[in-house]
Amino acid sequence: MAMIEFAHVGKRYGGRFEALADLNFSVERGEMVFLTGHSGAGKSSVLRLLMALERPSRGRISVAGHDITNLHVSQIPFYRRQIGVVYQNHQLLYDRSVFDNVALPLIIQGAAPQDARRRVHAALDKIGLLHREKALPIELSGGEQQRIGIARAVVTKPAMLLADEPTGNLDPQLSADIMRLFEDFNRIGTTVLLASHDLALIARLRHRVLKLRDGRLIGDEGAA
Amino acid sequence: MSQTPRRSTEAAEKSRRGARSHRITFESRSRAWRRHHEQMAVDSLHRLRQRPLSSLMTMLAIAIAMVLPASLWLALSSAQLLDNNLDDSARMTLYLDPALSESQAMDITDRVRGDSDIASTELITAAAGLESFQQRLGMSDALAMMDDNPLPATILVQPRSRDPDAAQTLTERLGKIEGVTDARLDMAWLERLRELSELGRRVVLAFGVLFALGVLLVVGNTIRLAVESRRQEIEVVTLIGATHAFVRRPFLYVGVWYGLGGGILALLLLTVGRRWLSAPIDMLASGFGSHFSLPGIGLGGSVLLLICSTLLGLVGAWLAVSRHLADISPR
Ligand SMILES: Nc1ncnc2c1ncn2[C@@H]1O[C@H](COP(=O)(O)OP(=O)(O)OP(=O)(O)O)[C@@H](O)[C@H]1O
Ligand SMILES: [Mg+2]
Repeated sequence: MAMIEFAHVGKRYGGRFEALADLNFSVERGEMVFLTGHSGAGKSSVLRLLMALERPSRGRISVAGHDITNLHVSQIPFYRRQIGVVYQNHQLLYDRSVFDNVALPLIIQGAAPQDARRRVHAALDKIGLLHREKALPIELSGGEQQRIGIARAVVTKPAMLLADEPTGNLDPQLSADIMRLFEDFNRIGTTVLLASHDLALIARLRHRVLKLRDGRLIGDEGAA
Repeated sequence: MSQTPRRSTEAAEKSRRGARSHRITFESRSRAWRRHHEQMAVDSLHRLRQRPLSSLMTMLAIAIAMVLPASLWLALSSAQLLDNNLDDSARMTLYLDPALSESQAMDITDRVRGDSDIASTELITAAAGLESFQQRLGMSDALAMMDDNPLPATILVQPRSRDPDAAQTLTERLGKIEGVTDARLDMAWLERLRELSELGRRVVLAFGVLFALGVLLVVGNTIRLAVESRRQEIEVVTLIGATHAFVRRPFLYVGVWYGLGGGILALLLLTVGRRWLSAPIDMLASGFGSHFSLPGIGLGGSVLLLICSTLLGLVGAWLAVSRHLADISPR
């Protein structure tokens, strides 16, 4: 069963402008896929639809076999708990410590404190920032903040990881490090969908690439 | 190099766990729910303490909006207290012809007392009437200068029945007795007092509703600002799967604390106000030979006021956060 399935998906903004048009693709469980295209091609739109931040204007999206097109508002939180998301601008809470930021999804899901502590430490250890758990995000570099964002996305062990330009502002070395983290999570079975326009980096990593132009799929290369 | 095999089993174990999301039992979920409530209750109180002046001002605004209808209600219930006292003394006054002598007046009194509808009578002779009048008003000099006593003798009549209709026919019958110039039923102004207190009740209700709306607006607006200042936080927790209830919770507690604090301040204001007014009112009342004093709000009233203010705080907060949540729901 496919992890992600788009069937004739279209998205209009403001009733006229067509950001996505007749999008068809599927991503298998355990795959790692890049989503690329020029600025304004619709990469973020695809991810926002997958996060149920927006609803498609046309077509059907299913995730892990469940149709998410018409999720009721009250079901959306529980759907979002199943996926981990990494944002270009990190979306961290700057008045909370690194530990509290990473623990947030667990608190929202009602995990017991000892259990949460153990899992936050495991996630921070994995990204190599366990020693900064008491720091405030503002005291960390951009690359470190991005890794905190990744730790928060994976702390609940989601089956699917989405990332929108996770290396947008980072130098090539840091970008490569971050990508290696995503590959690690993919290796243990997590489905990963990454939006990026860093073509050089994508080319080096040899994963499947979905190419968008003006809201249409114009390429699907290098399937594993 | 014993590291490598261990790593791979760890990875396999991780992948197995990653495939199905971890299970959280109902029991641990309800414990987490309680824990979050406790945390939010403390956390929101802490936030209020961080901005003591603006928190106090909001509470004071709520307090003022609560004090006005509450004191109106107290004033009304004191009027009811008055009318309960008067209920027992629903009685008639018979005014006698000034030309009658004292013994003739006593004869009429005896005749009236003989009536089976009448419980008791009291004759107040013209002289006695004058004397008590002088005492009450301290105008002895002015009245002493008059040659004639201008007051007629009166008979106070207490009927057996409390029924207004029966009292009315009895009054009419007593008015026809020879030597009685006029018979008045004091019920008439009692009725008017009742009508007045019905009016008062409605005024209190109208003011209560208006000021309750005022409290909702004050709390709603304050919470709206708090929501605004924590917009990013709301966005982030919503992105990672927080339910509306989770997002609302801290703000609901802020609303509850505002309401409760406002209620307590309102009680304080009412107590201070009562103290401040009680001295002149005591003096005024003793001038009328009455022991009337302002009633306090009492324990029941205090609890009711606190419940009302807290509920209003809660509802105001709810409305403010819900509006924001509706704004950020997917379209
Ligand atoms: N909320 C919105 N309202 C109106 N138009 C929007 C909205 N969001 C996106 N768009 C438009 O939809 C198109 C696709 O936007 P999207 O953000 O998906 O592009 P992108 O591929 O992520 O671009 P970038 O690489 O610059 O992030 C763009 O033309 C954009 O202007
Ligand atoms: Mg984008």
